[in-house]
Amino acid sequence: MEGFSLDFLELQKYEQIRYPLLMIDHVEEVIPGQSAHGYKNFTNNEWFFPIHFPGEPNVPGALLQESLAQMLTIAITTLPDLAGKTTRFISFSMTCKKEVLPGDRLDIETEVLSWKRGICKGIGKGYVRETLVCESEMFITIPEVLEQYSPKPKSKEK
Amino acid sequence: MSNLEKYNKLFQDCFSVKEEELAGLVYQGVDTWDSVGHMSFISQLEEVFDIEMETDDIIDFESYEVGREILKKYHIDL
Repeated sequence: MEGFSLDFLELQKYEQIRYPLLMIDHVEEVIPGQSAHGYKNFTNNEWFFPIHFPGEPNVPGALLQESLAQMLTIAITTLPDLAGKTTRFISFSMTCKKEVLPGDRLDIETEVLSWKRGICKGIGKGYVRETLVCESEMFITIPEVLEQYSPKPKSKEK
Repeated sequence: MSNLEKYNKLFQDCFSVKEEELAGLVYQGVDTWDSVGHMSFISQLEEVFDIEMETDDIIDFESYEVGREILKKYHIDL
């Protein structure tokens, strides 16, 4: 499949999370089923900076993880018939290497390692000015697809 | 390790059950055998026995015993 870009409005066809938890601004290139990269600008006006932490603002690690996951999600939901499907985390293993501060742009690179029967295994890396600040290995699922492969629990009724 | 031992170990590892709990174990019979656990189990089953299961078989794989029958289709004798 060929790659294409998605602006802030277009990407919301493929990612159902909205403000204040939408953590990607632009998809520079997505190759459906393979990879997606783009960025999130963390301006000083972000809602969480005044509280995380007062006088020492930085992006919460959980939201950096969310940025990586949302970009990976785009790589899956751009596959045929999956636009607009909701996703769920199964698990992730994340490492934060450096704080992300007000004014930083987080460049996000994600890669799909496998997509099978509703479960995606992928990796994501975040960079600020070409320095790696976070990385994560993730398992995400689209429940609607996953359920298509699940047994119907009729044996429980026996 | 025999095929049956591999099969049993996979169940025990994936669903955190003891060997004596395997007989009669069904999908959603324990918390760990939910839709996500099922898919993880099937992936590992395919890897251990070097098979690729058909969609209908994945859906029909609703219990420990039924699974043993399904694996016969893939020439895995337990």
